[in-house]
Amino acid sequence: MSSKASGLARAREVYSHRAQRARELKAEGSKILGYPCAYVPLEMLTALDVVPYRTCGDIREPVTEADRALPGSFCPVMRTCLDCALKNRDDFLDGVVAIHSCDPQEKTARVWEPYTDYPYFHFIDMPGTVRPEALAYFRGQLDDFRKTLEAFTGRELSRQRLAAAIECHNRQRRLVRELYELTRPSPPLVTGSEILQVVKALMSLPVAEGNDLLAGVIADVGNRSDRPARKSARLLTWGSTLDDADVMQVLEFNANVVMDESCGGIRAYRGEVKLTADPLEGLADYYLKEITCARTFRQGSLSGGAKDYAADLQSRFGYLKSIVRDWQIDGAIMLLVRYCDPFAFEMPSVKDYFDTLGLPSTYIEYDYTAGALAPLRTRVEAFLETIS
Amino acid sequence: MTKVVITDERDNCLSVVKGPTGAEHRRLANEVMQRALARADLHIDDISYIVATGYGRLNVPFADRQITELSCHARGVASLFPGARTAIDIGGQDAKCLKIDRGRLTGFVMNDKCAAGTGRFLEVTAAALGIRLDDMGNVALKATRKVPVSSLCTIFAQQEVVALLSRGEKLENIVAGLHDALAGRIGALARRVGLDPDLVLTGGVAMNRGMARAMEQALGCAVLIPAEPLLTGALGAAILARETCTRALAEGQTLHPRPRRMEEATFFGTEEQ
Repeated sequence: MSSKASGLARAREVYSHRAQRARELKAEGSKILGYPCAYVPLEMLTALDVVPYRTCGDIREPVTEADRALPGSFCPVMRTCLDCALKNRDDFLDGVVAIHSCDPQEKTARVWEPYTDYPYFHFIDMPGTVRPEALAYFRGQLDDFRKTLEAFTGRELSRQRLAAAIECHNRQRRLVRELYELTRPSPPLVTGSEILQVVKALMSLPVAEGNDLLAGVIADVGNRSDRPARKSARLLTWGSTLDDADVMQVLEFNANVVMDESCGGIRAYRGEVKLTADPLEGLADYYLKEITCARTFRQGSLSGGAKDYAADLQSRFGYLKSIVRDWQIDGAIMLLVRYCDPFAFEMPSVKDYFDTLGLPSTYIEYDYTAGALAPLRTRVEAFLETIS
Repeated sequence: MTKVVITDERDNCLSVVKGPTGAEHRRLANEVMQRALARADLHIDDISYIVATGYGRLNVPFADRQITELSCHARGVASLFPGARTAIDIGGQDAKCLKIDRGRLTGFVMNDKCAAGTGRFLEVTAAALGIRLDDMGNVALKATRKVPVSSLCTIFAQQEVVALLSRGEKLENIVAGLHDALAGRIGALARRVGLDPDLVLTGGVAMNRGMARAMEQALGCAVLIPAEPLLTGALGAAILARETCTRALAEGQTLHPRPRRMEEATFFGTEEQ
């Protein structure tokens, strides 16, 4: 590793220069595959010594090339991902794995693949529900993914390798949860912006390196003398993608964001993959059921007729209840990325659930750009004024 | 617009200043403040507490505290209309619907990042029709019917207006349709927080009589408008400042933890470094 830094300093460094480590690894002969979404089973890449690299686009880069291909009124996250791909910004990538987590990603992949010339491109179809037949179908999709990966690397994805990779990724999940334990005291030992930088760094490094980084961060935070200040409220953020520290700093100007339920926070690190006799089954089960993104249809029960909205909300969002209690959350900010239909449609139910918990909440739309943050700041501060 | 309101301990207005902000004047809150002080024959040292609000609230180096315009509008509206439970403020940059309980902001919703739900919608379409923004309301009141116009996008509405003119639609009927479109969009926004009477309309758009009527029709209830709809935010800030002051004195606290800097503003971006 070229850098001597460790812990929070190293996380900040990787966050600020995400591609640097990938370029080094590429120069050393590693294969690197990009993925735009938390649903891609990274264990399968790690098991074949392929480095996963999350393509986040660039929130500061004006979208130009993508607009030549597609209209501007769709998911800004996919737009910037496609834009950076068409500009070949991440020129170290050997390929991309996309997945049908949502329609914009599927449709973007349909443009991404023909308009670029990576040696490898794979699209995983993913069912929208968690029903047993969906699980069997998804497992079959992962088997197809295995075949193209084996052909691409010229190596066999053995059970043994996959089991080791699963353990390594599970360790990362445990460490991220351990890091979030450090936001439970008041004031928290680590800020939401710092965790965001760590998580984005994890998406830029091989998993074992990410685990070392996490261990360093946790040690750092435990020994720190510059503990974050206690602010006016402890907030939970809920949304699709929140992966920019400047945006998080606006939220944290007068508050402590102690839990981030988004792709830049805890979402990909809750729960663990079970090692099953057929490891693909355990992977399919985890990725389909454990990641709590609005793209998946979940239902309280199949009982037709009797409507029980409270039970439905509890079954869909029950995991938020213990967070609100254990992290002593004072308010929730539902941060909606503009044109993100799955989260926009999920928002009324989540708000109703927060209401049943007696938790004040507000929704704020943002367009996944880092400019013009003043309106965001006004909305956040006004919300804090209503709850303080 | 930059506004200053100075009140006494009974919330009576001693001085009121309002004027355009502009790119240069954003830096010069100190000059506007001096003008307001001169008008009431006061010195800065006579002022017990200053609350800055609005998008420029961080550009006021001599303020004691920053409070968002949402809380300030709520307070200002409640002081003018003690029965107010809902306030809708429509300005050139945004629209906000405020829920008020005993003078306090208890909930709010703001327009999404789009000009179509704000006063800018009327400004842009007025330009397309070649009439003055200030005349829009009176023109709308002359309408014999309303031509439906889409409220989805300001630019599309502008094009739609041109197409309607070419079709021979009467100007006043188009203008009434535009008011209706904006009122409908803001009404939908307001229903997200709930519409409890009394309902007060503020902001620049509240000075437009056509808009007040369109809002009453869209919301199905009476709309109250203050005499100075541009000043409720500044008035609320002054009242919140007075309340902070009264509370601090009652608790025996010092009022000025730091000295006033009557100087030019430092900026949002640089302050955050």
